[in-house]
Amino acid sequence: MLTNTGPVAKLYLSIIDDVIENMRELFSDEGLEDRVLDDLRHLWESKMMQSKAMEDFRKNSINSSNFVLQLPASYSQTDQEVTASVVIPASQSIYSFPRLKNNSDTLATFSLPAGLAYPVQIPAGVTLQTASGQLYKVNVPVVVTQAAAGQQPVSRPTQKVTEWREPAAPRPAAVAPNTTHPQEVEPSSAPAPSVTQPPQPNTNYVPPTEESSLPQQPQDPAADTLLLQGADSPEPEFRLEESEPSPQPEPMNLSMTASPCGQSLDFQTGTEETLTQTAPLKSRDVDDILKQVIEEEREKAERARSLTSAKTDSPSEAVLGLDLDYSYSELSDIVQLDGPAGNSDLEEEEGAPLDENDFLGIINAEAIKALQEGDGSSDGNSISSSSDGEGADELANVEDEDPLNSGDDVIEQDIPDLFDTDNVIVCQYDKIHRSKNRWKFHLKDGVMCYGGRDYVFSKAVGEAEW
Amino acid sequence: MDSSNDDALDIIITNVVATFRTRCHLNLRTIALEGTNVIYKPEVGKVLMKLRKPKITASIWSSGKIICTGATSEDEAKLGARRLARVLQKLGFKVRFSAFKVVNVLAVCSMPFAIRLIDFTKKNRPIASYEPELHPAVTYRIKHLKATIQVFSTGSITVTGTMGSFDFREAIRAMPLR
Repeated sequence: MLTNTGPVAKLYLSIIDDVIENMRELFSDEGLEDRVLDDLRHLWESKMMQSKAMEDFRKNSINSSNFVLQLPASYSQTDQEVTASVVIPASQSIYSFPRLKNNSDTLATFSLPAGLAYPVQIPAGVTLQTASGQLYKVNVPVVVTQAAAGQQPVSRPTQKVTEWREPAAPRPAAVAPNTTHPQEVEPSSAPAPSVTQPPQPNTNYVPPTEESSLPQQPQDPAADTLLLQGADSPEPEFRLEESEPSPQPEPMNLSMTASPCGQSLDFQTGTEETLTQTAPLKSRDVDDILKQVIEEEREKAERARSLTSAKTDSPSEAVLGLDLDYSYSELSDIVQLDGPAGNSDLEEEEGAPLDENDFLGIINAEAIKALQEGDGSSDGNSISSSSDGEGADELANVEDEDPLNSGDDVIEQDIPDLFDTDNVIVCQYDKIHRSKNRWKFHLKDGVMCYGGRDYVFSKAVGEAEW
Repeated sequence: MDSSNDDALDIIITNVVATFRTRCHLNLRTIALEGTNVIYKPEVGKVLMKLRKPKITASIWSSGKIICTGATSEDEAKLGARRLARVLQKLGFKVRFSAFKVVNVLAVCSMPFAIRLIDFTKKNRPIASYEPELHPAVTYRIKHLKATIQVFSTGSITVTGTMGSFDFREAIRAMPLR
């Protein structure tokens, strides 16, 4: 359950981002200050948090951490130092950094919480491993941040403090720039954020854009990599991992062919331009399965890009494009949890809302119905007697008695609790089937509010008894 | 005749079908949208409404005709029908409960012995009809009671007819068994 809140939160945030960014231009056209829009966003987010429809993404459990910090054995000595320096400003320092130091003999590893707020300072000598399995060795103390909009992402970082190494990937660690599939995302990795998928819940990324701080240093190796957040976010940042210190101007074909979702990604950022160009290509190469989903997102991304084109330069777009790969790979992983199909509208058309509500309510009201059993029997007697009396008065037109006694005798079906439930599902239906009193539901593309929390799904199957 | 074991027989009414009229046109869409526990079948042009208390399923047509099925007794059928009319009234239709009529009653009972269908049919030539390829039971029609009795080889008997439930015993008694 916990893991579900992450994606939902991210989805909602990306939706907020999308809307706000799309409105930015309109607002400025109207002559309203940006501040107004930001206020709106803050208000919106705070209300959302308050409603607790989804858990505060920052409090996500450690399980969904973006990456794992591996301290080399040699670090056991310098633990203290490391700990001290790895100051994670996140309010909740869930990760057991100190603890791990003690345990591990060789490697001290710990996971940073997903809700990590950037920037994160990482000391030198630390090897970062993203959830996707990519290893990054940090040679120089770096700060991992989410780049704000307009930042020069990737290209710069070539100076690279860090060099990225691939984990046991088949490809040589060298940034295989031109490889068609430089990027691979391991299936397990949630981290593939997709810029182009605003609604795509990135389990990694929590980051409320407001939190992202401009990277202080030009090189901000995105340890988390794919921090490409929602396409709309003007701050795409997320420094792509750079392979080599030297910028790789070669066109990274961000592999649109990266189609194989299951591969690890590595991007060589040097080629933002190419990225941009290839960005559209990417979408084409996306797996058929996710193609449609991606398309939607891409459209949004395009819009976002066009919106933010003034602000961001190509790199960001490239970054955005890069994310496409991740996005759908991520999609493939999480397709069941998130509503990948750009659920920018939370409310989908209702398929059979009444039935849903009915059953939810009915199940709750069973007890009440049982209580009414007693009443019913007594009423039956009164009704029959009254109707007999009426029969004598029958009107000429009416063949039989026509009493109905205006409800005095006839008991109404009281199911007041039927619609009292707060658990609501708003979705579309594929198939609803009934056998006697057994119902089966095949639903799709929905949002449900259950127990006060929101969940988003692309497919749901349910059974109920009436 | 041979129905000496009549008294020991348990005749269980399993289904009562009744119809009534509301004397007013009904908007099926309104009922489908606002009613509770309804199934809308626009292709047929009716709405099914299921009641819990008397376990009843009613087919509602836009003309105002309603068929009520699933009750276990005639009284229950009537009660259910009235409740249903009440529900429709609450939905806003000017419903008048009229022309309530029990159309069919289905009862089941079981003989403690097996029955040889072929012999039985032979004995009751004109009245009983047996077509094993169509249906595994002998169909025995009693015209004056307007009842149809189906006799199975296991000894189970189902009686379906328009008469009152108390007439079932008559029907069974009228059947020459063995």
